[in-house]
Amino acid sequence: MTRYAMVIDLNTCVGCNACMAACAMENQTPVWKNKWRTYVHEKEIGTTEQVRRRFFPRLCNHCDNPPCLTVCPTGATYKRADGIVMVDPERCMGCRACAMACPYDARYEVTYDDIRTGKEFYGELQRQSPSMDKCSFCAHRLDKGLKPACVETCVGSARMFGDLDNPSDPVTQLVASGVAQPLMPHLGTRPNVYYIDDMKRKG
Amino acid sequence: MDTMTYTTQNIWTWWIALYLFFGGLGAATLTITFLTDMYCRPHRKLVLWGALSGVVLLAISSAVLFGHLLHHAAVIYVLNPLVFIFKPDSWIAWGTQFILWMMVWGMLYALPYMRETPFFQRIPLVRGMLQWPLVAWLSDCCMKRRRIVGWLAAINGIGTAVYTGLLIQSFPAVALWHNPGVPLLFTVSAFSTAFAYLLLLLNLFITDENDDDLRHRYERMDLILISTELVILFSFFNYTLSGSESGYRSAQLLWGDWGWLIGFIGFGLLVPFLLELKGVIKGWGSRLPTVAAAVLVLMGGYLLRHYFMYAGVYAYPW
Repeated sequence: MTRYAMVIDLNTCVGCNACMAACAMENQTPVWKNKWRTYVHEKEIGTTEQVRRRFFPRLCNHCDNPPCLTVCPTGATYKRADGIVMVDPERCMGCRACAMACPYDARYEVTYDDIRTGKEFYGELQRQSPSMDKCSFCAHRLDKGLKPACVETCVGSARMFGDLDNPSDPVTQLVASGVAQPLMPHLGTRPNVYYIDDMKRKG
Repeated sequence: MDTMTYTTQNIWTWWIALYLFFGGLGAATLTITFLTDMYCRPHRKLVLWGALSGVVLLAISSAVLFGHLLHHAAVIYVLNPLVFIFKPDSWIAWGTQFILWMMVWGMLYALPYMRETPFFQRIPLVRGMLQWPLVAWLSDCCMKRRRIVGWLAAINGIGTAVYTGLLIQSFPAVALWHNPGVPLLFTVSAFSTAFAYLLLLLNLFITDENDDDLRHRYERMDLILISTELVILFSFFNYTLSGSESGYRSAQLLWGDWGWLIGFIGFGLLVPFLLELKGVIKGWGSRLPTVAAAVLVLMGGYLLRHYFMYAGVYAYPW
């Protein structure tokens, strides 16, 4: 059985935003209104000479216990056997309950206007219906044996992707070692995106 | 990962507050009038007002939500009664079915009364429909199984009122919302606003002197519900003051806002509480104080939901 997970090393993310660009091209996200499936959050931490800029890549955490799936009234949000949380745009009525439920701010809306703009922006648009949208771990690429677009393009190798059910996978070993930690585990969402903290080294 | 960002949301705003307010008010109004008709005394006018108000308020509530959907055609999936089989864990799915069936059973309960009311006989299209053989047969069936139909409507009504709180409770990131007090608070508020609405009707539109006992009973019930709401809100105040940063920031937003303090707690709860208390203990010489109290409770009912939506604080770990 496969159980996909991502580890993001905050020590090696340089904030180049190549992951955002690769994801936007791959998944045709509405970048014209600054909405992305993955987003590199920038924050200045510290004061005076101690100040530094931190880059924090964000995306859907593909939780094992996803609150966005529970609240979805139409069944548009569903989970694949490999753990990827998906959205069926045809089935999504766009009530936005998933966006309210997500503790990771991973959901955004795609409207009729976005579809019209998207056709001009991308030429040919894959989606036909408006819906809530989010990262799919590039499931269509995984099914072809490829890695997610953001992982493949990351210049600092900050993003690692693997199978938690494979003990020899480096991602599994990082997670098992405790170096890579999920975000807000106390919420009980059981995320499958893990972060290697940079604060201990730089802070 | 030690730095946090705290922020409120602008996804579900005033329109969802309206949805929750009208939904709870409509459902509780219908439930109270049917229970009054079944267990206090038969009251044709009250049932008709209750059923029609319930249906209209819930139609407005649903229309507000529907208008804000991104993909309107997909609503068909949630209107399908089989939604319980494939989405038993979604409160919106339950809520939609509660609303739908409450309207159906509500109209069926009111149908025999509609057929014998001259007002409906004067409306050309409605008069024609009420004389259809199928409608006449349905009306007879509902008359024979009055309590079953009434309870089916009431159960769905109570379900709708509780659902408005459960919906907000299902968002785990926000301490103000994700706790067992929310469904309780919203249910109590829904029934309090419904009693206030019915007091308005009984003082302005159904002005029969024989209904004085009902007016007193409703006023007493509203008084108890307002007291309960104040106790729950006090518990919320204590709960949000410590335990989580999200909750604490919500407390700062709510209790530092004059609209919440003066508008909702003051004029939406305390002033009507005092007006109704005097009405229950000593009575009023005119209807005006009772009407004023009812209007204030209704305003407070909306403000509660409005501020609740705006004061939910997310804690993001970046």
